[in-house]
Amino acid sequence: MDPVLPAWSEPFVRERRAALARLPPLDQITREWAWDGADGSGVTVAILDSGVEGDHPAVGGRLVASYRVEPAAEPEAEPVVLEEEAAVDVVGHGTACAGIIHAIAPAADLVSIRVLGPENRGRGTVFAAGLDFAIERRYPIVNLSLSSKSEALYGAFHDLADRAYFAGMLLVCAANNLPGASYPSLFSSVVSVAAHDVADPWTFFHNPAPPVEFGAYGLDVPIAWRDGTSIAASGNSFAAPHIAGIAALIRSRHPSVRPFELKAILAATATPLPLAGRA
Amino acid sequence: MKDRGADRGRRGGRAGGADRLDRAGLELLRAIALRAETARRLVGESGEAVLRAIVDATVALFQAEAASIALHDPATDRLVFRVAAGAQGAGVVGLSVGSSEGLVGYVYTTGQSIAQSDVQRDARFGRSIAEQTRYTPRSLIAVPLVDEQRTIGVLEILDKRDSTSFSIRDIELAGIFAHQAAVAISASRIERDVGSLLGATVRSLVAQAEDAGGPLPDAAAVERLVASAAIGLGADDEFRLWELVEQVARVRSADPAQLDLVIDLLNVLALHAERRHPRRTRAGG
Repeated sequence: MDPVLPAWSEPFVRERRAALARLPPLDQITREWAWDGADGSGVTVAILDSGVEGDHPAVGGRLVASYRVEPAAEPEAEPVVLEEEAAVDVVGHGTACAGIIHAIAPAADLVSIRVLGPENRGRGTVFAAGLDFAIERRYPIVNLSLSSKSEALYGAFHDLADRAYFAGMLLVCAANNLPGASYPSLFSSVVSVAAHDVADPWTFFHNPAPPVEFGAYGLDVPIAWRDGTSIAASGNSFAAPHIAGIAALIRSRHPSVRPFELKAILAATATPLPLAGRA
Repeated sequence: MKDRGADRGRRGGRAGGADRLDRAGLELLRAIALRAETARRLVGESGEAVLRAIVDATVALFQAEAASIALHDPATDRLVFRVAAGAQGAGVVGLSVGSSEGLVGYVYTTGQSIAQSDVQRDARFGRSIAEQTRYTPRSLIAVPLVDEQRTIGVLEILDKRDSTSFSIRDIELAGIFAHQAAVAISASRIERDVGSLLGATVRSLVAQAEDAGGPLPDAAAVERLVASAAIGLGADDEFRLWELVEQVARVRSADPAQLDLVIDLLNVLALHAERRHPRRTRAGG
């Protein structure tokens, strides 16, 4: 969005209004309409995490690029984004997320931006630089199974979340399990996800009470792990990629949807309640 | 102690101002530093007690076999288990793992909570710790301890007695306990920063004097500054504690045999006090 001239009313003039036609009414939106037949083709999902093991069977060869963010060498300098020589995951977390997304949207391309690791554990500035890079590249879906508790970076993350939103990108964030605020998972323009305990990747709930608006499979999830292995683990980190995968399917079927429409489609297609025969 | 003020301050290059203070000024500063260190140790101990209380409560609430807290040691880049509770917990205290090693290292590195139900299936997770403690859990939760800036350690809970796995609610509850622990730890870090503050104050005094072209501050000037900063201290209900601190500081001049005697006496008194008032932690409080 680069408004050189402030012509905010221009899209709404009579001869241009036809271009504003959007979605059908919410009650007509079904899962069939939303993503039937879609496999994620044409959509790239960026994964900001600990890296993705490119040759892991669960990733299905869909990893198309890997970057890493290096912390700034000097206190005043900015972190640097570099292309990885090899697609590695330093702990397993990013590969787990990639595996979940690939299982749902098998034809989606995956891009890894490594911001977690022994050399930059939890550094908010590295995370912010990685997100900035993803926004420059305009990856339509970004999975963030991490967040920052740094109050100093509140403004920076708010700006990044707005830029992503205006660029038409959906940030899918894992809610933090810890008390207190964490960003960008609590911003209104993102999709914030916590874990539920129904063992089904296609069951997801919409919560009308923000900030955490969606719940997805996150208890004892079979996940890909480091060195080509797999384990079962629990956490909001593994719930978010389920929603990222489903968002990739919707985006693949409806390439022009904006982030708020994508969120509305997710809410409209959430698993209806009560859930018969399940806890 | 490395002084962070020197890295940040515009006048970092002029460090070493303390060398130029007169002898009386230096003695005064040493006395202040000694009291700060004494206070730090007293409060630091209670900080550890808070951590112990947190793992005790964690074990009781989760009906777990063990709970422990590992903190990152920047000097060795390892996570050191500082406190533990529960039937299977004690063996882990003092052990350490690499900061990216095993499940604890994973949580420390990513800052993300995780729970695992079938730990034994994945032999790499915590194997070194399991071998050292001779206890391999079936299930566990690990949550990061996060202060305002970064991840400082990990709270780990092993094996719920009445269940084979932890629930989502358990993970969230563990996050609340971890938050309490992180708050307690950053409080004790503030005590440790007193030393750096002292150094920064001296450098600032020296630099101001140099800028003004005047003589370096003398002992009386430093004393006035410290006295004005200390107004009100000791006047509250902690007064008896400060009295104790003063006495402990005085005992420093005793010879080693006398010191041993004082330590033995205090041990006996402390045991006695704990038996009579198990919940009291304040001297004379």
